[in-house]
Amino acid sequence: MKELIIALIAGVGAGGLYAMLGAGLVVAFRGSGVINFAHGAVAAYAAYTFDELRENGDVYLPWFDPIPEFGFLKTLRINNLPVKLHLGEDPSTWLAVAVALLMSAFIGLLMHFLVFRPLRNAPTLGKVIGSVGVMLYLSSIIAVNFGGQNRADVGFGGFTTDSPAVEILGGTIPRSNFYLLAAAVVMGAAVWALYRFTRFGISTRAADENEKGAALLGYSPQFIAGANWVLASVLAGAAGVLFIHKTQPALFVLFVVPALGAALFGNLSSVPGATVGGLLIGIAASGGVELADKGWWPAWLPAEGVRNTVPLLVIILILYFRGDKLPIRGSISIGRQPRAPESNNVLIGLGVCVGIAILLSNIFVSSWEAILTTSLLATLFMFSLVVLVGYLGQISLVQFSLAGVAAFTMTRLAADGTKVRPNDFFVNTGWDLPDPLAALGAVIVATIVGLVVGIPALRIRGVQLAVVTLSAVIALEDILIRNTTLLGEGAKSTNPTPEPSWFGQYVGAFNPDTNRTDYWKYTAFLILAVSLVGVAVANLRRGAMGRKFLAVRANERAAAAAGIDVSKTKMLGFGISSAIAGIAGVLFAYKLPAVSSDNFSVFAGLALLAFAYLGGITTIGGAVIGGLLVAGGLSAETLGVHFEDIDVAYINAVGAIGLIINAIVTGGEGIAMLQTDQGKHILAGLRRDPTIAPPDSVLNLTQEEIQGDVEGALV
Amino acid sequence: MTDTATTTSSSAATGETLLDISNLSAGYSGVAVIRGVNLHIKSGEVVALLGPNGAGKTTTLLTVSGLLKALEGSVAVLGAPTTFGAPHKTARRGLAHVPEDRSLFFGLTVQENLKLGLRGSRSEQAAGYETALDLLPALKPLMGRRAGLLSGGEQQMLAMARALVGKPKLLLVDEMSLGLAPIIVERLLPIVRDIADNTGAGVLIVEQHVHLALEVADRAYVMSHGEIVLEGAAAELMERRDLLEASYLGGGLEEDA
Repeated sequence: MKELIIALIAGVGAGGLYAMLGAGLVVAFRGSGVINFAHGAVAAYAAYTFDELRENGDVYLPWFDPIPEFGFLKTLRINNLPVKLHLGEDPSTWLAVAVALLMSAFIGLLMHFLVFRPLRNAPTLGKVIGSVGVMLYLSSIIAVNFGGQNRADVGFGGFTTDSPAVEILGGTIPRSNFYLLAAAVVMGAAVWALYRFTRFGISTRAADENEKGAALLGYSPQFIAGANWVLASVLAGAAGVLFIHKTQPALFVLFVVPALGAALFGNLSSVPGATVGGLLIGIAASGGVELADKGWWPAWLPAEGVRNTVPLLVIILILYFRGDKLPIRGSISIGRQPRAPESNNVLIGLGVCVGIAILLSNIFVSSWEAILTTSLLATLFMFSLVVLVGYLGQISLVQFSLAGVAAFTMTRLAADGTKVRPNDFFVNTGWDLPDPLAALGAVIVATIVGLVVGIPALRIRGVQLAVVTLSAVIALEDILIRNTTLLGEGAKSTNPTPEPSWFGQYVGAFNPDTNRTDYWKYTAFLILAVSLVGVAVANLRRGAMGRKFLAVRANERAAAAAGIDVSKTKMLGFGISSAIAGIAGVLFAYKLPAVSSDNFSVFAGLALLAFAYLGGITTIGGAVIGGLLVAGGLSAETLGVHFEDIDVAYINAVGAIGLIINAIVTGGEGIAMLQTDQGKHILAGLRRDPTIAPPDSVLNLTQEEIQGDVEGALV
Repeated sequence: MTDTATTTSSSAATGETLLDISNLSAGYSGVAVIRGVNLHIKSGEVVALLGPNGAGKTTTLLTVSGLLKALEGSVAVLGAPTTFGAPHKTARRGLAHVPEDRSLFFGLTVQENLKLGLRGSRSEQAAGYETALDLLPALKPLMGRRAGLLSGGEQQMLAMARALVGKPKLLLVDEMSLGLAPIIVERLLPIVRDIADNTGAGVLIVEQHVHLALEVADRAYVMSHGEIVLEGAAAELMERRDLLEASYLGGGLEEDA
């Protein structure tokens, strides 16, 4: 009991961090109506900036060199975009703090002007994609600019690793925990006072509620939004700098999840509420972790899982019971959803794609096998997003984790307790099922988990669902994927995959003869799977079920009024999508000699979502294009001929930029839709070709479009 | 209330032109809703913009504020052209627009709503505050209440007061009477007369209560189907009810006007 109380008190340290980040999320939301998934990434960038400056005296600007000095480009000697600035040896700590905060403010300005201002009249979906894009972009840029190595920053001021301990009830808690609590309370109180008493704060609240009204009184909604972006980012930066002594800066990116819980606790509008919520989440998580250490605690629920489940539970409970009371901005319009046409000529497209795939495969003489299968796997996985996000309109960020669940379940079900390959480090015990049964079992498990994750979607939709599923990604990773009790010893590092044999044929990609993952039967197996699933998804869209999906996507109430069982339809969508993700996960595991949780990290999932959007998330053609685009896929590797050693992070950063541009330019329709009339119109606009008429007849205006005109004026 | 009618025609304005709309066409998504509108307001003048529903009155006001783009023609507010897309700039020059939906901030208190309307130096702010509350004393006991909790009439008073505390040089009031009891309209409308007389501001009111509007206005324009079909001194229009009715009902105007 005493330990528990001590743990609860110690929780104010992490709670302080969540509170500070949550307050920043509220500020960004009030200023611009955006739930900023990139908030943690801003904190991470500030923390890295702080540490890098103290260590090496360097400052990295938040972008990358668009023309890397690789391969033949090195000889071109083009004047590149400056990225690194040297501020001298051994700069003072306070300079580092100031630079980190300035960097945050700068990133806030960039986010405002480059992403969220252009997206100001976009539908909710566009804003979510934009903010996920920024999150992916910043984490990729962090990987490019700061590398993956661990940092050991001791902190500054009172916020240091060697902070003296305070003795409470016989236990010790670092004093810095209480400083963090104090910092969170001071920051929260300052922002609260700013919103309560100053003209700027009142006008922010006013514009939050009614942009037109604020503009007519002489307040520029865009100035207010920009200023709040800067304020929110500086708060994030401050949180990053104050907390860096406790953790690795890279981890800040995902601290956005408990911060979202905190912000939701404050109803996305109250800074004191967010502060309290953040502290409570920190305290509850710390207490939960302490309980997980007890002997009676079930071993299958590991401590890390508990830590990351607390915010998930808080978020689900708040959204489930209070979601309808969350603020909706006055300017918000449902907006036009990206179109999801039926795919024409599926069989011809299939034939062409299969033909090209076979040509590129090892069945002939190519050495493109591994690259080809990467693209195929990505396409297969993206089919699950086409069903769920494209057709049904449910923004789920968790699908790739379900692929991971399937992959790990499959290894567990198929393992027989013997060493699979000579140099495997771990030996997995399991049920020794035949491979087809193990795969089936894995897909079923992924489907069930997907359905469970989908339950909140019965009441939670749009951006709120994105919040839930993002937090589910973090929780699932620790509860299921990295759970050694459930999924075998290797779950935390690398789990060996079985050598799959279907009907007497070895269908794994690993070729012991060449020691590479390029065995042709795997490719053929994969082509078959992608073809079958692709045709099934295309037929889904054509049939009655596809129409139901689109009806639910367009308007749930209208769909219900037309006799569609919305709950059932949503569950069906989650089930089908999760099953496809599971199939992709199993086949992904067949490709590798071992799978690790890193293969299914939240960033890998977000990158796939980004490329699926970029390809066109509403059509199977878009999934094919998205599959070509992914890092390690065909187009990236083709470029790689010229850009040797190009990093995954570069490609993901480019993908994130593409995602943001896609959200701004096409409203999220993606490349696949450029062939349609809307696409032709966009292209014509770019070329200033007046001969192609706009697709919407000007006389068929909807109320929203007219409304949009008035709102569009609020620059 | 009754004495306002007598003062109206006497205060014919001769001051500077505050609003000058010439040959304006504007609308939504490229389709003109109003065409060839000419309208001007001088300081100290109350001008009524009348006409049936859908005539384009609100569209005209939105264009003046810069919320809609002019397709043709020009709008000069207080000597400078309106910038489309930057209504806040026009507002800062001294234009106050009370839109049809009132655009109050329901989550803010009455005081905070008023505070957002303040302009200029501290003493100017204090003066504006006093003027507005003198004209609308009913708001005084409601200062700490959230705007969302006010009654419809109180909300309209707040919207007016919020426009007035900034001491606007030009005031646009769109459908002040919408959803209000006639008795409240009778009490509120004369206030715009007082504003014009006391501060020298120009006022443009869009009204459905034609008779009440003409009682307080100096001049009036009548719109129909996006065009101005009739204009003249308020007193003259009062006597030509036949013309007014014709413009509302849409028949036989050409030969009369």
